[in-house]
Amino acid sequence: MKDIAIIGIGVTKFGELFHKSYDDLVRDAAMQAIADAKIDIDEIGAAWLSTAFPEIGVFKGRSGMDLCEPLTMYNIPVTRVSNFCASGADAVRNAVNSLRAGECDVAMALGVEKLRDRQPQDSIVKMMVEYGHPFLQKGFTAAGTFSVYAKRMMYEYGLKQDDIAGISVKNHFHGSLNENAHHRKACSLQEVMNSPVVADPLTVMDSCPTTDGAACVIMVRADDVDKSKQNPIFIKGIGLSISTGWDLPFFDTNHDFLSFEATRVAAAKAYKQAGITNPIEEIDLIELHDCFSIVELITYEDLGLCKQGESKYLIRGKDTQLGGKIPVNVSGGLLSCGHPVGATGIRMVTEVVSHLRNKAGQRQVQGAKRGLTHNIGGPGAIASVIVLSNENY
Amino acid sequence: MSFIKSYGVSLPHFRVDDSVLNINGNKSFSKAVCFSDEDIITLAFQAAKECINGDENKIDAIFFATTSPVFKNRYHATFIADLLGLKNINFSLDFIGTDRSGTDAILVAHQLVNSGKNSNILIIATDVRYSSIGEEISTNFGHGACAITVSDEKGIAEIKDTFHVSSFIAEEFTYKNNEVKYDPRYIRDEGFKKNMIAVSAKVQKYIGETEKNILNSKYFKMAIPVFAKSGFNENQFSVDAISPSIGNTGVASAFFRLISEIENQTKNILLIDYSNGSNVLYINLKDFTNKTILKRKLENFEKIKTYQDFLKLRKSGNFNSAKYKSVDIFSSEMMNNREKDSFIRLEGTKCNACQTIYLIKTQRCKKCKSENFIKTKISENGKVYTFTSEHYFPATFPPVTMIVANMKNGGRITLQQTDCMYPEDNKIEIGSEVKLVLRKMTEFDSNPDYFLKAIVKK
Repeated sequence: MKDIAIIGIGVTKFGELFHKSYDDLVRDAAMQAIADAKIDIDEIGAAWLSTAFPEIGVFKGRSGMDLCEPLTMYNIPVTRVSNFCASGADAVRNAVNSLRAGECDVAMALGVEKLRDRQPQDSIVKMMVEYGHPFLQKGFTAAGTFSVYAKRMMYEYGLKQDDIAGISVKNHFHGSLNENAHHRKACSLQEVMNSPVVADPLTVMDSCPTTDGAACVIMVRADDVDKSKQNPIFIKGIGLSISTGWDLPFFDTNHDFLSFEATRVAAAKAYKQAGITNPIEEIDLIELHDCFSIVELITYEDLGLCKQGESKYLIRGKDTQLGGKIPVNVSGGLLSCGHPVGATGIRMVTEVVSHLRNKAGQRQVQGAKRGLTHNIGGPGAIASVIVLSNENY
Repeated sequence: MSFIKSYGVSLPHFRVDDSVLNINGNKSFSKAVCFSDEDIITLAFQAAKECINGDENKIDAIFFATTSPVFKNRYHATFIADLLGLKNINFSLDFIGTDRSGTDAILVAHQLVNSGKNSNILIIATDVRYSSIGEEISTNFGHGACAITVSDEKGIAEIKDTFHVSSFIAEEFTYKNNEVKYDPRYIRDEGFKKNMIAVSAKVQKYIGETEKNILNSKYFKMAIPVFAKSGFNENQFSVDAISPSIGNTGVASAFFRLISEIENQTKNILLIDYSNGSNVLYINLKDFTNKTILKRKLENFEKIKTYQDFLKLRKSGNFNSAKYKSVDIFSSEMMNNREKDSFIRLEGTKCNACQTIYLIKTQRCKKCKSENFIKTKISENGKVYTFTSEHYFPATFPPVTMIVANMKNGGRITLQQTDCMYPEDNKIEIGSEVKLVLRKMTEFDSNPDYFLKAIVKK
């Protein structure tokens, strides 16, 4: 397989961007990435647009045309990618494959979601309550579908609510260092645990906010990088897996509610491609999908950072904090940055690229050479893992 | 000959004391009240399911009696038959005229079975009626359902005789949706008493045989002198021990009293059900094996604590929970119909290779990849595998507890907990035992949308 390099990244401020339209966000992220890559917009040969939920947003992003129109970028193939919350990472995967296949020489993956043109409960909560199957899983909100994992983890492994809330404290601290994060305020364990319950044991502060935002990456084949003007970061491994369905875990006794099989499969693929055998020693930072605090703890185990049931020790030992053994979500994660669904997987890539370029400012992971992104969707049914490196080894 | 072959009973989990409804209410009187997701369909389904107990294929007719229908231009009988998966029905009918509609159904069933046209007729009697706000004490209402099968096979009791004495006078009725009330003395003297005189003359022949007579009417005591003239003494009439604890359950009332006498093992029962005329049944107990279905259900309940809580139940469907105002939730009769075998009747599939049981249809076994499946019935009893309480899902009594349950003998289902008005008194944990019951999927509904929910066993 041909090696692929990221040559341009762009990311907007994440938050309640009432003054920005969907099209504004597309333009902001895309033009940042084009400027960073030092290319002309007409050099882009194909593009992928990631918007997961047009129907709970502003009805934009139902097709690739919603990327073309704001950029006046026509006469190239543009495809909308929809794979729930993992749409962003899947857009990157599609762009990588297109480059490898030789369909184009320069590929763009852009994720954008505009959720805050509606009331907060009018988007994600409304989707779970009013849409979807008339009775399968009816009663859940997004938080609830992950809370049932938390309950089982607490039962099986002695996980404490302090451990779950500890993730939120860590990531909100990291987010306080990120100028683009939705929430930029550090918080205490008591504040997290005393915030209103959304779905027991998860509280409001264990849950990511619904957010506006966009992120973009521009990629070329490694051989095509112009080293005189571009600062490439290389994609060394990329895996995506759908390992169950939307409903099946809730109706299938094979599912243990202790792990996301999709993450394990996607990680195995990415690790094999990147030559990683001991991730906690070989990876310098991780951006993972902490839509709810519990997911970060499950993912420590699924990514092989620790044994099953031992994720609590990583948070208790502060190993995943900035300055720790393996910093996780130094951007602030979804808990602090927010979750503009289609943009999240690409925002993670831009974050890791910034660290690997040593351009992450006050939250920089010192000496970072290899990083990983993890993006899940459809209550853990879909997962993407991407390994990035500043060396094309 | 026709027999009562089996019976089933369904009572809401909640009761409200008259003293909660009104400060002057009698503490020893209470009413059974539906939870926010119950109605006549859910009560009827549970009673009927208990009654037929696996004999779905034998039932060849279904009658549904109520004075509080939820459908117009649609038979409740056919709707319930379909939910139950009754495939051999050749006659279905609703009886919705008066409080004696339930015993009307028995009379018709008796005739049909005796004529040989039908062999096993399922009869369901249920009412869910409310009083006006502020009139809860003066209006005796209560919610419940009973089901019986009238059969040509020998069973619990033989229906020896039935007859009807007509009367045009009704105590309370509506005319073009207006409530009409005649002078109560006219109703009693010209209606009830005259009708009882005719009835007493006809039942005089059973005077030496009956142990207990059930006279199902609120004017019951006025009839004692009438029957005394025919030779009956007051002790031959049973006292209504049911209504004080569950209220007046309308068409189901006569059924509750009949079942109560059966469980008391009363050998010969004369049932007189009066409302706009009388239906009379003479019943002999035959093969009854000391069941206490009704007794247990009368003893198993939870009290509504405040009038405000009761009002919340009344307001079901017009709620605003956790800052989220609900609008109508998508439902599709086509989807519901397609999925009934699985999600109402719990018909799953079992992998022939590794024995894993699935409720949702699947092409290959997730565990062993086999494509060889056989049909299997999934138990309605199971244990909580994991759960959470949802504070943002709209409900009359938030939070909604979502339960992932592993069922006895295999299979998993995820559903809402119901009958939980006071979560602090109903803590659940991993391993708690649950039973599945039919309820309205969403309380705010403009379409019939029924699904299973879980009640946690104590």
